[in-house]
Amino acid sequence: MSEQNLKVDVTDLIKDYGNNHVLKGLNLQVKNNEVVCMIGPSGSGKSTFLRCLNKLEDPTAGRIVIDGHDISNKNTNMNHVREKIGMVFQHFNLFPNLTVLDNITLAPIELKKMTKQQAEATAHDLLKNVGLDEKATAYPASLSGGQEQRVAIARALEMQPDIMLFDEPTSALDPEMVGDVLDVMKNLAKQGMTMIVVTHEMGFAKEVADRVVFMADGHIMEEGRPADLFDHPQNPRTQDFLRKVLNA
Amino acid sequence: MRKRLLWLGTVLLACLSLFTFFSTKTQAAEKTYTIGTDITYAPFDFQDSNGHYTGIDIDLIKAIAKEEGFKVKLKPVGFNAAVQAVEANQMDGVIAGMTITNARKQQFDFSDPYYYAGEVMAVKQGSSIKSLEDLRGKKVALKVGTLGASYANSIKKKYGFTTTEFDQSNDMYNDVTSGNSAAAFEDYPVMAYGIRNGMKMKIVTKPKAGGSYGFAVKKGENQELLTKFNTGLSHLKKNGQYDKIVAKYLGKSAQAKEKKAATGNDGLLSLVKQNKSSLLSGLGQTLYLTFISIILATILGVIVGLMQVMPVKWVNWLSSIIIYIFRGMPLLVLALFIYIGVPNLTGSKISAFVAGIITLTLNEGAYTAAFVSGGIKAVDPGQMEAARSLGLPYGKAMRRVILPQGVKIMVPSFINQFIITLKDTSILSVIGILELTQTGKIIIARNLQGFKVWTIIAIMYIVIITLLTWLSKFVERRIND
Ligand SMILES: Nc1ncnc2c1ncn2[C@@H]1O[C@H](COP(=O)(O)OP(=O)(O)OP(=O)(O)O)[C@@H](O)[C@H]1O
Ligand SMILES: [Mg+2]
Repeated sequence: MSEQNLKVDVTDLIKDYGNNHVLKGLNLQVKNNEVVCMIGPSGSGKSTFLRCLNKLEDPTAGRIVIDGHDISNKNTNMNHVREKIGMVFQHFNLFPNLTVLDNITLAPIELKKMTKQQAEATAHDLLKNVGLDEKATAYPASLSGGQEQRVAIARALEMQPDIMLFDEPTSALDPEMVGDVLDVMKNLAKQGMTMIVVTHEMGFAKEVADRVVFMADGHIMEEGRPADLFDHPQNPRTQDFLRKVLNA
Repeated sequence: MRKRLLWLGTVLLACLSLFTFFSTKTQAAEKTYTIGTDITYAPFDFQDSNGHYTGIDIDLIKAIAKEEGFKVKLKPVGFNAAVQAVEANQMDGVIAGMTITNARKQQFDFSDPYYYAGEVMAVKQGSSIKSLEDLRGKKVALKVGTLGASYANSIKKKYGFTTTEFDQSNDMYNDVTSGNSAAAFEDYPVMAYGIRNGMKMKIVTKPKAGGSYGFAVKKGENQELLTKFNTGLSHLKKNGQYDKIVAKYLGKSAQAKEKKAATGNDGLLSLVKQNKSSLLSGLGQTLYLTFISIILATILGVIVGLMQVMPVKWVNWLSSIIIYIFRGMPLLVLALFIYIGVPNLTGSKISAFVAGIITLTLNEGAYTAAFVSGGIKAVDPGQMEAARSLGLPYGKAMRRVILPQGVKIMVPSFINQFIITLKDTSILSVIGILELTQTGKIIIARNLQGFKVWTIIAIMYIVIITLLTWLSKFVERRIND
């Protein structure tokens, strides 16, 4: 595995909140075009890990290299690195004061990545891809959860990221909305996007993931191809967890 | 980060230079002396029915200035404000019916006495109280810092009465005529003048424990001015001008003049008409103070409020300290501290108006900062995270995403704060700014119709507050659409 080919390279990542040791020395490497799904019990540190990757949280120790940029280095311009990391949140976090179109075009225009015209043309294309172009002038408050999340994905894609991070993108949705969002993500995976997806959707993980990572207690307990990890889990914690979620 | 600090520094520097600009503006003084006077101390210092400041003190200092060839800039700010302003080097001298006492000699150098006045006791017309002995168990009204007050305090044990003290002569008189207090102690000429002009009181004791009035400068300062005053005074006494001035106010012929204005029976409308120009100029000052203070306090409040939420620890601390101090300090104390205290520390004068603006800006700004930061904190933290994760720098995320949402939360607080600012301008009357409240005090000192004048002033406040509220609601609707 050549260094060049790595999109994400995490070494000995530690994150403490005071006396609460949340991440206890994580190592993870993600290759270009790879889709990694992270599963694990609540409170195991999945969100914290994802948020460390674009420095929404400051790691306590360890090294994180994204696309060749060492973001543990204080001199790295984090704003530039973040432009290349799309993030999708559990609660969508659309900007309620802006229309759907402005939500999507705000960052590229503010950061002078595109002209207004370019940004809006791209935004309309992206909205078509997620089936929501007719909502371009609507405000987020008038959308359903599933529609909001698809707009949020479009907003992240507008910046033409190299990596997409998803933190339980469907767990705040009504069941009938989940499918639409997962379809958008599957398409993205097919197009070769590098993705890290924290999810409870085991079906999605089985179908789309190149690799599944099981986290518990701030450690990566086990990782492997979906077929291996789901059908022949080695670690007792993994076995225990899968028994619970699959029989639920 | 560095850019942000630079920006912050620039703003602070701009505020500071504005401050020094205002404070040096008033410094230039060649042969002109700034003299503080009282405003509610007829016949020595008061405003006539045309709105001009007049009285024995005023005529005397003007005559002396003419005689000795210097110019005076009179500052009718009230006794306490005038005395404190001289102590703080804000003014050069004070002439305000000020009695020469040993205690005052610690702080001031006095001229030769220019008037002898004994203390008398006065009661409501028709009162049964005839002597000091009748005061046992009663309450007596006094004016803060006067010789009458210290005389009354020195004998209150012996005669067994209690005291309440007022800032304005008129409030003291009203307390007696309304029956709240049994008697007042005051310098004879002041009391006599008031009664002659329609005040429903009578003098029941002979002048006693009298003192002499002197013109005062801060101890060790302005000695040249003091000498000029003394030479001028002795000239005026010799050439008869002095007697003329005194007779103008206390002589027999003086009685009729002011009587009309003080009959106590004018209707509200005719009172408004008589005092139209003073009321309008007071209103103007109040609006002007409010307008400037609202703008500056909003700027300061937004800056300090943003400092409160910035992800830099020491900036948060600085903001917290600013809010803590200026929100915690009573406005009255802050006003006096800035007007009297700061010039003592820095040695440069500030005009009362500028001191007032600074006071309001700091106090209202601290409140504004608190609800600005509160409004920002009320925005879902996920909004900032989403904006930052798109690569937007902190400032852009704040401006385009957080503030537009926060401002909606803040608008009602802003409107509230504007109204409070308007009301708080009235407190600045303590440092002698001629705004609406101070104007009211001055008119009352002349016509002694407290109830009616305060009714007029109250109505004026309600009207402008209503207008301000309408304006704010209009703006609020525009923002919310
Ligand atoms: N800002 C914070 N301050 C203190 N503790 C925190 C903070 N954020 C997270 N934690 C703690 O870190 C631990 C891991 O939280 P995290 O949200 O990463 O778990 P998770 O695996 O994403 O769980 P879930 O499946 O419920 O989302 C928890 O114990 C949580 O209480
Ligand atoms: Mg989580």
